[in-house]
Amino acid sequence: MNGADEAPQQRVKPDPPGYFEGESMTRRRAFTIAAQGLGGIAGAAIILPAVGFAVAPIFHRGKERWEAVGPVSDFVEDTYRQVVFTETEGIGDAGKTTAYVRKSSAELEEEPGKYVAVSNRCAHLGCPVRFVEAAGNFICPCHGGVYDFQGKRIGGPPVRPLDQFQARVKNGQVELGPRYSVTSQLDPVRARDPGEFTGGIWEYLYPPRPSTFPAP
Amino acid sequence: MKPEDKQDYLEEYEVFKKKGKPFFPYAVLKDSTMALIVVAVIIAMSLILGAEQGPKADPTSTTYVPRPEWYFFFLFEVLRVIKPPELVPIATVGIPTICMVLLLMLPFYDRGPERRPERRPIALIAGILTILAMGYLTYAGAVAGSPTQIDLKVAPQYEAGKEVVAGSGCLACHKIGENGNNGPGPELTHIASRIPRAAILRSVEIGPGIMPSFRELPPKKLNELADFLSSLN
Amino acid sequence: MPKLRVPKIPDSVVPAPLRKPAKPGQGGNGKGQAPQDLKTSPPERETHVQRLGNQAKEAPVDILAWVDQRTGASGFLTGMLYRKVPKGTNWFYTLGSATLFAFIVQAVTGVFLAMFYTPSATQAYASISHINNDVPLGQFVHGMHKWGASVMVILVFVHMGRTFFFGAYKYPRELNWVIGVVLLILTMTMAFTGYLLPFDQRSYWASIVGININGTGPVVGPYLSDFLRAGPELGATTLARFYAIHMLLVPGAIIALIGAHLYLVMKLGTTAPPWMKMDKPKVAASVAQLDAGVEGNGNGRVNGAGRSNGVHVDGDSAT
Repeated sequence: MNGADEAPQQRVKPDPPGYFEGESMTRRRAFTIAAQGLGGIAGAAIILPAVGFAVAPIFHRGKERWEAVGPVSDFVEDTYRQVVFTETEGIGDAGKTTAYVRKSSAELEEEPGKYVAVSNRCAHLGCPVRFVEAAGNFICPCHGGVYDFQGKRIGGPPVRPLDQFQARVKNGQVELGPRYSVTSQLDPVRARDPGEFTGGIWEYLYPPRPSTFPAP
Repeated sequence: MKPEDKQDYLEEYEVFKKKGKPFFPYAVLKDSTMALIVVAVIIAMSLILGAEQGPKADPTSTTYVPRPEWYFFFLFEVLRVIKPPELVPIATVGIPTICMVLLLMLPFYDRGPERRPERRPIALIAGILTILAMGYLTYAGAVAGSPTQIDLKVAPQYEAGKEVVAGSGCLACHKIGENGNNGPGPELTHIASRIPRAAILRSVEIGPGIMPSFRELPPKKLNELADFLSSLN
Repeated sequence: MPKLRVPKIPDSVVPAPLRKPAKPGQGGNGKGQAPQDLKTSPPERETHVQRLGNQAKEAPVDILAWVDQRTGASGFLTGMLYRKVPKGTNWFYTLGSATLFAFIVQAVTGVFLAMFYTPSATQAYASISHINNDVPLGQFVHGMHKWGASVMVILVFVHMGRTFFFGAYKYPRELNWVIGVVLLILTMTMAFTGYLLPFDQRSYWASIVGININGTGPVVGPYLSDFLRAGPELGATTLARFYAIHMLLVPGAIIALIGAHLYLVMKLGTTAPPWMKMDKPKVAASVAQLDAGVEGNGNGRVNGAGRSNGVHVDGDSAT
């Protein structure tokens, strides 16, 4: 390609679509930018509040609530008692959940005088686990997860031990509070959803959510 | 596909199209017939099967055995058979995502000009295998029993042991009769014909290989369990 | 080569501007023959009643013509309806429209269910009971929606299988395959968000599992499940959220994508069955023949639409 070829090409360069007499390219450019900018701002003004509205609940933490589930005398060391209490307020029965509660056991080298409240939500994908008295195990009916007496996984696909609820004694009543998750050594961590690993590097791969309460 | 293949295809297609019939009413007649069949099937299903309401949602339940709608059985079965916890994210997110990407990208990696299925052996086999796998997983998901129940009929003295086995999660890895998962553990339906009672008891206590130890079970329950298992021959 | 057959469209449904002019010698109303007749016996004047009658007869056509003049719809419609579908088109090609029809059933029954349904964790179950037990035909419409979902899922998969085995996703229809797969995913999303709504045990637990499956995606998963539930646990607005997704967000996307899907089907045409093959010389001969014979065939309107695709390949291909 040489200069002689280029010159005629420049001459026949066609006007852009919609060109009109007297239009300058800087004018066209300014209008292009303005059209896109104004449209973009208008679009953002619609989308951003709507998206913010939809994602706001992720960052909202409800009020901490505690509920009495029975006198301390109801709970023993060597087996669980099933209690039902409200975890989410305002939706009636649909906000209730089941916990298995017992006294901490000296035999299992747990801190004495405490109460252990194990959630019935399977740590695999959230199906309802059942405590089987005969075996002293928790069993999940969905995908076959099995947990031992303390809620540690002994079989099936669950990724971590069963969740627990904070428990305290007030006026002779055992009270249950926010949910928390545990690592495979039963160390408390912030509540995770079922199917999410806890401990080690997993704490970063499945980051804690702002909508949950800090671990005890 | 090379540009000349594209050209050939378009020319050939143009000829077929020219030789074809107009969409209306010839193709539309078939479409309308099919639409009628579809709506007839839906109405028939609605009339015959109805829309029964299950029991009200109860998050406190500890006895309900959740099962998905039939069209998610294949996914359910994948989640059920993938046992090692480390593989759970692969089963839940990994495999479906990979399948979706493969499906979405199909026209971009299968670019050959050939369209006849019998001349596309890889595509044909992959397609048939996919259909078979989906069909099998759907079937297996549909017939999966609860892992906390054994339907086997046993003599009354073994009922206690059956309860222990059912309640200990053995069915998560072992098949007993019609219940339980076939694997990773061996089937236990005829376990007594293979190993004696003492060996069964020892396995349960030690937990050989990947099997967890059930040493924690009270001795009485261990004995009942061994009694039940050694009656299966 | 057999002459192409085009169905004869009755004049009464064709707007006046599009009607073919009558051939000479076959007068419009049978009476007016040649100009010289007018001199000897001038045509009788229309009576008032006759004129009104004729106008009434023309009215539907006039309305169509009025609309057509303002929209240009007839060109589009004739192009769409009388476009040729390739030789060999068979019953396998009805699966797509069957899926569309199943979707229409879902949309219609869904609108009527929405009139009675309450998306609230405390009232949803009772409102479904009400639909089933008290509303006339309630269980029937509910049943159609419920089983229509199964039928639609099956049809989507079968339609995809047909496209796969016929190689219909290949050039030039790649984009339509991609749109189709997105439609498949959206259909499964509908199936999933739909079945929390009755709020019975099956709905509840399946949704819990489904939300948790989303949660197992690393890093963003936990936030995604919080987003779906509108909080750390299934709460007061979870059901409303699923309802909004199920009846506004996803159906909107599905309708838009069905539009794009059908537009591409019309633009590119449906495939011929893959077993129909011709050798190159034969194709070339047919092309030449068609090009030569194209004017003589049928009715001028159709030919325009038929060849609008043009046979050319742009040079963008990488292979």
